[in-house]
Amino acid sequence: MRTVNPSIVIGSYGWDQDRVPRDEFQLRIDALNRVMDQNHWKAVLVYGDMAEHSALAYFSNFTPRLRWGMALLPRKGDPRLLVSMSPRDIPAMRLMTWIPDVHSGWNWPSVFDPWLAKLDTEGAADIGTVGFDMMRPPLFTSLQQSLGNRFRLQDGDAQVAACRTPRPRARSLIRAASSLAAETADVFRQSWVSGKGVEAAALDAERAARLRAAQDVRMLTSHDGGRTLVPFRGSLGPAPGGLAAYIAVKHMGYWGDVFVSEGHALQPAVESALDAILASAAPDVMGAVLHAKAIEALSRTALNSHALHPVLSGSVGNRIGYSPDEGGRLTQDSDDMFKIGDTYSLRVGAHDAGGGAFASAMVAITSKGYDLVHRSTAPKKS
Amino acid sequence: MGIQETRLRETALYLGREALDGLIAVNFGHNSFLESHAVFVLSGVRPIGESAVVVDRSGGSTLIVTPAWDAERATTLSHTEKTIGTDDLPSALARVLAARSIDLTKTVTVGLSTVGQGLVQRIEAVLGGKARSNESFIRSLARIRSQEELAAASKATEIAEAGYQHMLACVKPGMREFELAAELYCAMKQEGAEDNFLLMSASQHNLAVRAAGGRILDVGDIILSEITPCYQGQFVQICRTTLIGEPTPLMREKYAVLQRAMRAGQAAAVPGAAVRDVTQHIDDCFRQAGYGDYCKPPYMRVRGHGLGITSDLPGDLTVESEGLLEEGMMFVMHPNQYLPETGYLMCGEPVVITPQGAKALSSREAELDSVAA
Repeated sequence: MRTVNPSIVIGSYGWDQDRVPRDEFQLRIDALNRVMDQNHWKAVLVYGDMAEHSALAYFSNFTPRLRWGMALLPRKGDPRLLVSMSPRDIPAMRLMTWIPDVHSGWNWPSVFDPWLAKLDTEGAADIGTVGFDMMRPPLFTSLQQSLGNRFRLQDGDAQVAACRTPRPRARSLIRAASSLAAETADVFRQSWVSGKGVEAAALDAERAARLRAAQDVRMLTSHDGGRTLVPFRGSLGPAPGGLAAYIAVKHMGYWGDVFVSEGHALQPAVESALDAILASAAPDVMGAVLHAKAIEALSRTALNSHALHPVLSGSVGNRIGYSPDEGGRLTQDSDDMFKIGDTYSLRVGAHDAGGGAFASAMVAITSKGYDLVHRSTAPKKS
Repeated sequence: MGIQETRLRETALYLGREALDGLIAVNFGHNSFLESHAVFVLSGVRPIGESAVVVDRSGGSTLIVTPAWDAERATTLSHTEKTIGTDDLPSALARVLAARSIDLTKTVTVGLSTVGQGLVQRIEAVLGGKARSNESFIRSLARIRSQEELAAASKATEIAEAGYQHMLACVKPGMREFELAAELYCAMKQEGAEDNFLLMSASQHNLAVRAAGGRILDVGDIILSEITPCYQGQFVQICRTTLIGEPTPLMREKYAVLQRAMRAGQAAAVPGAAVRDVTQHIDDCFRQAGYGDYCKPPYMRVRGHGLGITSDLPGDLTVESEGLLEEGMMFVMHPNQYLPETGYLMCGEPVVITPQGAKALSSREAELDSVAA
């Protein structure tokens, strides 16, 4: 789900060594080393910015609160983290990563070139890159000047993504984030039921999440009973129609998300469609199959409103973790398959002229099917 | 005529003067409070994702937003002639350029240097390498705030001050920094702040301000806050220093140096003044107090800076600046300073340039505030 990027993420960030100790990162780096060996890369440069930093956080634990960060991860030698912050901000940045060697990236040649010079190379060498599509051109130009003709960059996004396997510690943190998202949704719903407007209820929910150490909170709310969702607009008064909103909460580096939706006649239809996805969710099931199940269920139960809600952009879910969208979008033509260990955010929505309704769930794929991490609305017992 | 219509018209006139067919302004879906948001300046819309505005020489304009489902909201808000929603910005851009019969060899781009290079490459493929760039066009076009923008900035300043008052009311020893930041942030959002570049941190002896963390507030802490709400696209910033407990006479004496520097900067900041000279006036106050060696990093960074997302001009207030002040420019002036006796202290206001100097938008100048221990 796309939401507005804030100018800075204000939540509390640090490296909690109790939850994600150093050895967890060593396991991740070991997997990255294997990718480097397979591709004969001397290093991997992992770039992330304030808006998207999943890979950077995975390998370094660092989250850019604003601008960008880049982990320089050599096959042999010491890693270095460059962050786009002033030198006086670096001590605070060091608290967010296991990498001890952290520098301001503002004076690029003085911090990148000496690190590059230490790479063990004879003649031309290859370096893998991650996240470089997001990099601004001026920084890329500086990087190219540093590399000269001696190093070639190779796009490593897909190969590095494939080596990222969620392990128990990560799954535990995703469950914690999911739990906070669900609690946030409860506050939202209670506030709305008490008579507050949708944005006033959203604000109550956001405050509750932030007071519980949420690192980021994103919301979309509806002022027309779920027909459309919009970013914050400062309309705190009551709005007509049912309740519909999307909530994403980041906690300890991981995201959980959930829809709150009540009061529209389409609600049973979207719940049935979510049931249909869940009934088929299992390892090796293809995304397109799940999408088809949802559409089929909607067409069976929602009369004329069998199309997905536009706000879902044709997808009934995706992987979730360090990013609210880790890929694997469940679309009409998706050949992505559910994998054991992955956590998915699933969602169904439908709308008509009078409004719209949503249902969502987070599931962890297991060898036997899935574990339900949470569901937006528990189905009524018959 | 609103400011966006005025700027769209001025853009068309610029295209005419330069014998150009069209201008393409782009944004990546980021909202930097230190940069000009070219799409917002021309359309009045902050799209959720990557976006563009196309302006042709006749004054016709199209806003292209992503994701596609945001089109209805964008259409309601936009001042452009047309609005399109898409999930594929380069393809939609190609269609708009063709529909407006814009000659790509007579096209100028703005904002591509702020966009991820993956998207840049796709846009450049559409343009065939034929367009030129003028990265400073929009920030220059919008460097003088309009009356409606100043009204929004004033409202943003009211929000900032109300937020700070809320912070004073709820801060207490034992709170964690992030809890206080949550209270401050949500109080300002309740007043209408659509975004907030909020830095807030505390220490017994600060070296700088940073984003809130998990530190537990204690008696004797000096809380630094850089409160930066955005209202209708206008970021403003107030910088405040708050002590948990009673300030000592020494702290009051040192804080007064910052206040003198602020007033000196405001007095010097008249239309036509060089930014570097204004900075020197501020630095002079610290030199006179015996802190000349501290007028450089890491003891301070800049004496103020422009504020996005309209225009970041006049840029950073430094002694190296080449900028000149113009009446109607709006920015934050902040003689924030590390002093060895007190640590880092903050004092700053959003100001607008007038013939009488830099007028603060805030209702009271920064004081060394304190709350009960």
